[in-house]
Amino acid sequence: METIKNYLEAMFANLPNTVEVKNAKDELLSMMEDKYTELINEGKPENEAVGIVISEFGNLDELAESLGIATVINQEDESTDRRMLSTDEVINFVADYTRRRFVLAFGVMMCIFAPIGPIMFSALGETIGFGRIELVGVLFLFVFAAIGVGAIVFSAFMNNEWKFMDKELCTIDLSTAEAIARSKSENQMTRGLYLTIGIVLCIISIIPVIVLDTVFSSGLSFITEGIGPSFIFIGAGIGVLLIQMSSAKDAAYSKLLSLNDVNTVAGNYEPVKKERKNYVSSAAKDIMSMYWKIVLCIYLIASFTSFNWGSTWLIWPIAGVLRKPIEKILCADRG
Amino acid sequence: MIEISSDVIRGYNDTIILFILLDEPSYGYEISKRIRSLSEDKYIIKETTLYSAFTRMEKNGYIESYSQNAENGKKRTYYRITQLGKEYYLEKCAEWNLTKEVVEKFIRGDK
Repeated sequence: METIKNYLEAMFANLPNTVEVKNAKDELLSMMEDKYTELINEGKPENEAVGIVISEFGNLDELAESLGIATVINQEDESTDRRMLSTDEVINFVADYTRRRFVLAFGVMMCIFAPIGPIMFSALGETIGFGRIELVGVLFLFVFAAIGVGAIVFSAFMNNEWKFMDKELCTIDLSTAEAIARSKSENQMTRGLYLTIGIVLCIISIIPVIVLDTVFSSGLSFITEGIGPSFIFIGAGIGVLLIQMSSAKDAAYSKLLSLNDVNTVAGNYEPVKKERKNYVSSAAKDIMSMYWKIVLCIYLIASFTSFNWGSTWLIWPIAGVLRKPIEKILCADRG
Repeated sequence: MIEISSDVIRGYNDTIILFILLDEPSYGYEISKRIRSLSEDKYIIKETTLYSAFTRMEKNGYIESYSQNAENGKKRTYYRITQLGKEYYLEKCAEWNLTKEVVEKFIRGDK
């Protein structure tokens, strides 16, 4: 049976990776499989069965019309001038992409952590009766915010060596694409786990403050006013980090798979549809490309003017949720 | 050994497949098997011929495809004939009768 599969694979190797081609391959394989199984059940030796199946397969030219691939069969495919990514490059890309996402997520986490300083030190100040110590907390806030913002800005400059992937046409070979498609589906479990833990952390981060408030209802304001509320930010910070990291690898795999479009060789995976967004105007496109930078500006302005770092971090999750609807509005209908 | 004319049979692949689907919906290999047995092993349809006929006839609205799990649990694409397909089949039958009638007039077994 392996021989038949390989034969079919070889026949289809130079065909474009379209849904029609994949359907044809699946259907032909199914028919050949049936025929092979029956021949074996009739007591034919394997070699003979394979020989019969292959000899009765027919000619790919016959499929040209139904697959809309006449041009491909009759002429050299034009994918030769594409830049071929090697397996090593692909592995490095996934690693770099994940690292960049981590730096970004880390930056966001630091921004969320920032209010912990003032909260802890103002509670401490109250407990020991030395209010001025609150200034140390404010100092912590600035340090955390600076590290966070620094990381976010820095992440934008990472991976410059991969910029070429957006500029020139690239492709990956069949076996690499298959391996990536496999890794992508294997990664789904991890992805779901990260996402779930992240969301759960965000939700349960409120629990310590309630529990501590109940247990230490009298006195000990350091625990109820300091440690309790701090847990909210720690939980939310780590939660948001996990949520962002959950899709990192998946996004990298999708990007790699989207390199192989209909003009490149056929594989056994569904090519990721390249998300071509037709924005209503070039201004809309520019706005969306700077989306997170704009959010960062809003966050900083809102935080510094209101000095309400305790709630301004909410801008991040809100911005995350709003992104898709905004994109929808700014995209022209694809008809 | 004499083989059937591939040029002539090509024009009637659709008719042959539609004939088999008249009885009940079927899938790729079963159709090819029935063609083989009904023709007493004289016509073995190629997989690529069969598949291109399926896609062409589906596009023309003569047949419809749906997937269904076979007895052994394997997922298969089944094809069923449509009303349009039945009309087309009858047309092709009439066409063949006429063709056969005309060609017959020029066929002589001896020299």
